[in-house]
Amino acid sequence: MLKTLNQKVSLVLLAIAAGYLLLSYQLPSYPYAIVDADVLPKGLGYLLVILVIALFFTKDSETEEQKARRNIPKKDILALLAVFAFVFFYIFLLEILGFVLTTALFIFFCSWFLGYKKHLTNIIVAVLFPLFMYFTFTEFLQISLPQGILPF
Amino acid sequence: MGSLEGILTGFQVAFSVEGVLFVLIGVFVGTFIGMLPGLGPISAIAVMIPVTFGMDPTPALVMMAGVYYGAVFGGSTSSILLNAPGISGTVATSFDGYPMAQQGKAGKALAIAAISSFIGGTISVLLLMMLAPMLSSVAISFGPPAYFALMFLGLTAITSLSEGSTSKALISAVVGFMVVTIGIDAQTGTQRFTFGNANLLEGIDFLVIALGLFALAEVCTLIIKRKDLSLDNTHKLGSLKITKQEAKEMSGPVTRQSFMGFVLGVLPGAGATIASFIGYITEKRIAKKPDEFGKGSVRGLAAPEAANNAATSGAFVPLLSLGIPGSGTTAVLLGAFLVLGVQPGPLLMTDRPEIFWGIIASMYIGNVFLLILNLPLIPYISKILKIPRPLLISLVIMFSIIGVYAISFSTFDLYMLLLFGVVGFLMRLFSFPAPPFILAFILGGMMEQSFRQSLTISNGNYMIFVKEPISLTLLLIGLLSFAFPIIGHLRKRKG
Repeated sequence: MLKTLNQKVSLVLLAIAAGYLLLSYQLPSYPYAIVDADVLPKGLGYLLVILVIALFFTKDSETEEQKARRNIPKKDILALLAVFAFVFFYIFLLEILGFVLTTALFIFFCSWFLGYKKHLTNIIVAVLFPLFMYFTFTEFLQISLPQGILPF
Repeated sequence: MGSLEGILTGFQVAFSVEGVLFVLIGVFVGTFIGMLPGLGPISAIAVMIPVTFGMDPTPALVMMAGVYYGAVFGGSTSSILLNAPGISGTVATSFDGYPMAQQGKAGKALAIAAISSFIGGTISVLLLMMLAPMLSSVAISFGPPAYFALMFLGLTAITSLSEGSTSKALISAVVGFMVVTIGIDAQTGTQRFTFGNANLLEGIDFLVIALGLFALAEVCTLIIKRKDLSLDNTHKLGSLKITKQEAKEMSGPVTRQSFMGFVLGVLPGAGATIASFIGYITEKRIAKKPDEFGKGSVRGLAAPEAANNAATSGAFVPLLSLGIPGSGTTAVLLGAFLVLGVQPGPLLMTDRPEIFWGIIASMYIGNVFLLILNLPLIPYISKILKIPRPLLISLVIMFSIIGVYAISFSTFDLYMLLLFGVVGFLMRLFSFPAPPFILAFILGGMMEQSFRQSLTISNGNYMIFVKEPISLTLLLIGLLSFAFPIIGHLRKRKG
C-alpha cells in the first residue's frame, strides 16, 4: 500500500495533524470571545489533513538531484549523529562550565572530528574565538553569557 | 512631517558618523557571510540580530538592512569563483560568471557583477524612495480584513512560487503556522499546546526557527559535503578592467533588469531568486547571440546581478510600507524589526521617519560601500572561501547557539534550536521548502490577530472578508496564484 515516498511521508504528517487536532479539541473555551482560541488551530489541523491527503495521491515530482540528496553514505550519517551529540553536550555543559570553556572544547573537538588536521590553528581559533565573542557580548553589548567555572 | 522633510531626516541619519559606521559594518558582515557557500541572507540576518540588542533601533536597522543586501552582493563572489552559489539568488550568476572565471577572467567577472549590482541597487533605491511612501499612504486606511487578505496573499504567493511540489510548500506553510500557535493566546489568554511547560508560554522565538531551519540545516548539508569542494581550484583573478565594448554590452541588460528586478522584488513571493532567473532568461531571449549565454557572456552575467540586487531593495517596499514581508528573508528581517521594538507598517513613515527614511537613505551609501569593498578588495575578501569546512561548521554552530542564548538565556531554547535544525534538515531531504515555513511562522501571529479582529468587528460573520473590495480582490489573487501551478500540472498530465 505504501509504495511511494510521498505516501510514507504523508502518513507521518497525518499523525502530526491528528495529534495537533486532538490537542486543539482539548483547548479550554473562553465564554466571552466571538472567535475563541481553538478556532484557528482546528482550521489549521483540518487544512493539514486535506493537504496531506492531496500529497498522498500526488506522484513524486522530485528531480534526480533532489532524490540524490537522500543518498547519504552511512559514514556521513554517523558523522551527522556525532555532531548532533557534540552540540547536545555543548548545550548541556554550557551553563555548567561556562561559555568560554564549553565553546573552546566544542570548536576544537568538532573541527578535529570532522577532519581538520592543523591542530595548532585549531587550538588558536578554539581559544581566541570564544574569548573574543565572550568579551564582545559581556562588555560591549552588555549581554551576559554564562560565566561558568572561569573567574571572568 | 512631509515627505521632503522625511527624506532630509533620513539623509541626516544615514550621513551621521554612526549611520555611516553601521552601514559599513552591515554591508561588510553581509558580504562576508553571503560569500560563504550555503550561508545566505537569512542566516546572516539571524546571526546578527543578537548584536543589535541594546542598540538604538535606527542604526541597528540600518545595519541589518546592510547585512541583507550585502549578503546578496557577496553571494555572487562564490558563484563566480567556485560555482558554489552562497544563496539561491545568485545561482543564475554562476551560469556565465563561472565559465568566465574558468577562462581566466575571474577579475573581470567580479567587476561586471559588482558594477551591475551597484547600478541595480541604486536604481531600485530611487524607485523604493518613490513607491514606499505612496503605498504607505494607501495602506493607512486598511482595516483588519484587508490586512488579513494581504498576508494571505503574501503566503500563497510564496508557496505557489516555491520550487517543486505546491502541496509540499503548502504543508510547510501550514506547519509553520501551527508552530506559532504554541504559547499563550494573545486575545483570550488561553494556553495553547504548552504542555504546562513554562518555557513555551511565550511561544517559540523566531530566531530558534530561523537559525534552526536555515543555519543548522545548512550545517548538516555542509557536513555531508565537507570533502566535496576542494578550494584549490580557485582560478587566477586576472585583470578587473572592463573594456568599452563590454560596458556598452552591459548597459542594456543592466538598465532593463534593474527595473524589472525591482518590480519582481516588490511583488510578494518573488524576490531575488526569481528576479535573477527571469532576468537571465529574458536577456537570453532578446539577445542577438543567445548561444553566447552560458559560455561566459557579459550580458548573461550582468542581467541576474542587476536583477537580484534590484529585487532586494524592491522587497523593502512591502516590508517598510505595509509591514508585511514577501519572502523568507524579509520575514526574518521583520523579526529583527520586532526584536528592536519597531513595528513596520503604514504608520512607520509618519511615526518613525528617522527609521523609515534612514534605512532607505543609507542604502545609497551601502551600495557605494559595496562597490568599493568589492572592486579593489575582492582578491583579499575571497580568501574567506578558503576557510576549512570543519572549522566553518563549528563556528556556524557556535554563532547559532550564541544567537539563541543571547535572546532567551535558556538552554531549553537551545534544545529547541537543535530540534528545528533536525526538522530543517529533514525538510531539505524530502524537498519541503523552508521559506514558506518561516514566512507563515512570522506572519501567523499577525494573521490570526487580524482574522479574529475582523470577525469580532463583524460579530462572527465571515462575509466581512469578501464585503470590502480590497480584501476580496487580494484574497482572489491569492487563490488564483494556486491556479497556475495546478493548470500547469494538469497540462503536463495531458501531455
